[in-house]
Amino acid sequence: MNTSPPRSLVAELTYRCPLGCLYCSNPLDFAKRRAELSTGDWSRIFAQAAALGVLQLHLTGGEPLLRDDLTELTAAARACDLYINLITSGVGLTEARLDAFRAAGLDHVQLSLQDGDEAGADYVAGAGVHRRKLAVARMIARMKIPLTLNFVVHRLNLDRVGAMIDLAAELGARRVELASVQFHGWALLNRAHLMPTPEQNDRAEAIARGAAERMRGLMQVVFVRNDYLAGRPKPCMGGWGRGTIVIDPAGYAMPCQAAASIAGLEFPNVRTATLGEIWRDSSVFNAFRGYDWMKEPCRTCPERERDFGGCRCQAFALAGDAAAADPACEFSPHHRTVISARTELSERINPVYRTARSSRDIVHRNNSPGG
Amino acid sequence: MARRRMNSDAPDGGWRPRLAAGVRLRVDPADGRERLLFPEAALELNETAAAIVRLCDGRRSLAEIVGELTGRYGTTGAIARETAEFLGAMRERRLVE
Repeated sequence: MNTSPPRSLVAELTYRCPLGCLYCSNPLDFAKRRAELSTGDWSRIFAQAAALGVLQLHLTGGEPLLRDDLTELTAAARACDLYINLITSGVGLTEARLDAFRAAGLDHVQLSLQDGDEAGADYVAGAGVHRRKLAVARMIARMKIPLTLNFVVHRLNLDRVGAMIDLAAELGARRVELASVQFHGWALLNRAHLMPTPEQNDRAEAIARGAAERMRGLMQVVFVRNDYLAGRPKPCMGGWGRGTIVIDPAGYAMPCQAAASIAGLEFPNVRTATLGEIWRDSSVFNAFRGYDWMKEPCRTCPERERDFGGCRCQAFALAGDAAAADPACEFSPHHRTVISARTELSERINPVYRTARSSRDIVHRNNSPGG
Repeated sequence: MARRRMNSDAPDGGWRPRLAAGVRLRVDPADGRERLLFPEAALELNETAAAIVRLCDGRRSLAEIVGELTGRYGTTGAIARETAEFLGAMRERRLVE
């Protein structure tokens, strides 16, 4: 198959993280994935990525600040002219380090905040970090490094999007993203806590729209609706294997950050293949490219070139088949699972934080006979 | 910090536009075209747009940019209008300031 080049590389530098967010995008079994690529490995990958057509690099984790070689990695990426975006919780970021990153070629910081309210934020993160994160956001703005703030929004904080937008403006962000929780991995475990109500979503969306208009030219305000409430699926990753490569801390290459949740895929590793071979020839990257893999209703749907059948990980998680239509789509035969999830709201189930301990428990449960 | 409200009004000729911090212009080796890089996108620029952006160095005023482009591409008031519109839209997205 003739493939267009990848434009963006997501480098998950580590799965270590001081936060335990209820909706973390790392795999449930991250605790057993402790291997991490070396500085040299990553430098080689950045050079291969740039040669392949990648323009943008997103350094993420876990918490990328936990890598002691982050300055060297930034310099290595800049040497290949990549645009470098650091995605961080900010916990542990000092002025001296940020200065070193900037000198090494860092272009932009995307900082996560969990809420506009301290108690709410610390509850979701499972750690008392909100105040420190605000101080870090102020430091970034003071150092005139362009800053995007990202709030994952869900039932517990959607009613405060107005406060989040005000906070972002006060902190000097150039852009604020209010991204509805997407139910993969940890978020799927905690869905009964996090599922927004349609009324809540509509109110928040209207507030965000008003703010976007009011703050035009000062700060970009972007709201992303939860796909359970959208009726149509999201064009996940802009299509599988169409523009993005994700590399996990141990060097496994994936078309998206949740792809490891799909059983039966053998992920290629950058230690044993070049990025070019992985992108063009690996079975994983070709598994859902184009349209031939599609089943009905996607196969003949006029929307297929716009939404690519939605999210493969969500199809696997909810329909048990990664080649099925995304159940978020109203035309999916499994759409009822999404409809019923809208009303399965509960505060009575204990939330599951993303900790090494709960990760090991999940691995243990899945490995037990009959478990 | 008091920030001046910027809106979609046409930018004035004395404005000296420059790329905002965190925005980079570079040639895409894949196709030789110029792209504007910022965290959310790699915006493909056509030849005219790239020519405008290359002149946004913070020293030239909008009027001077229009003057240079007119000298290069010929006459007509279309260049003045289109340049102002393009840069106004870019400013709205905080790509130039």
